[in-house]
Amino acid sequence: MTDAELVARTRAGDADAFGALVSRYYDACWRFAYHMLGERADADDVVQDAFLRAYLAIGRYDERDQFRGWLFRILTNQCRNAITSRSRRTRRFVQDEAAIESAATPVLGLQLGVEDAALQRALAQLDPLQREALLLKYAEGLEYTEMSRMTGVGESALKMRVKRGSERLRALLGKLDV
Amino acid sequence: MSDRDDVLQFPGDADDAALGARVAELYRSLPPRTPAEADRCAAAVLAEAARIPQGWRAVMPRQRWWWGAAAAALLVAVTMRPWRPGAATRDADSAFTSMSRVASAAALKGSITPLAGGDAVRFDVTLPAGTKDVAIVGDFNGWDENATPMLLRSGDGAWTAQVALPPGRHVYAFVVDGARWLVDPMAPQVPDAGFGPANALVVDRTR
Repeated sequence: MTDAELVARTRAGDADAFGALVSRYYDACWRFAYHMLGERADADDVVQDAFLRAYLAIGRYDERDQFRGWLFRILTNQCRNAITSRSRRTRRFVQDEAAIESAATPVLGLQLGVEDAALQRALAQLDPLQREALLLKYAEGLEYTEMSRMTGVGESALKMRVKRGSERLRALLGKLDV
Repeated sequence: MSDRDDVLQFPGDADDAALGARVAELYRSLPPRTPAEADRCAAAVLAEAARIPQGWRAVMPRQRWWWGAAAAALLVAVTMRPWRPGAATRDADSAFTSMSRVASAAALKGSITPLAGGDAVRFDVTLPAGTKDVAIVGDFNGWDENATPMLLRSGDGAWTAQVALPPGRHVYAFVVDGARWLVDPMAPQVPDAGFGPANALVVDRTR
């Protein structure tokens, strides 16, 4: 069954159709949220919030959009909100280079190799907007036009974020790779 | 004008293919979520949605793209009242009345002025007549063309903006009419790292 058919059924009150949409996109959403936030519990919360908002707003979903793109637009906003509220509490993503060098490897609870752990740590130190652009571009494989439509940010700005984020990531990896 | 040397080009080679592949590999290496987790999420969403009164969802109209523009135009009209006599003169002088004007001899001319008593730095750039809007973008605002619009100070094409910058190195550029990216010809420039013409940089004062 296509996304459009599942959306139509969800609008008609079919809970199973919405469950099918969640099953179809849960993994992709969680993967993105986890890499944006770096914490499993935060990823769980944000993905659930994103699906709740999607469910409540599904009457206003425009069928001309790809459902996945529309859902990710909600998800990226939720990730930004989570980072903003968390930075007020903990300032986890520090910009201080001395602190970056001395910081302990975060406990991810996942079976990652040494090299991956270094990249994960480096990603976590990026500016959130740069991290978002890198993940959408490199991990989700989106074109800049799609990224622009999803984030509401101009293509030039997104290219600059990817460029600057890549430079920053390489610099961090140079310090973290041993 | 797009072939000018001072227009930043984005030829599509901004991406770091090797790094991108490594990020994608990291992304794929994450174990997939189980169907049970997706089911729990769907159940939680439906339970939460059931607690929200049904009525408000039904009455929420579909958002229209022009709502934001209409609201902004109404806000500008109400707050600025551009039809009142002498409004343009007063608006031009109101925010920067104590600051020196920037000469407009060159078609494109910029300057940077640290302002006393704080972290604010004033950016000035003079552009040809007919320019509709200018914004400053940089690391400090995520290169967002909408974050820091510049103010047209007078009819001679002088645009200005104040930005709060902490001490340190800041890379920036100007965006003209929402499309053309210009470097500041009056400021030091970043070496071209294969991304296109050099961007401009400011090394802010140390305190």
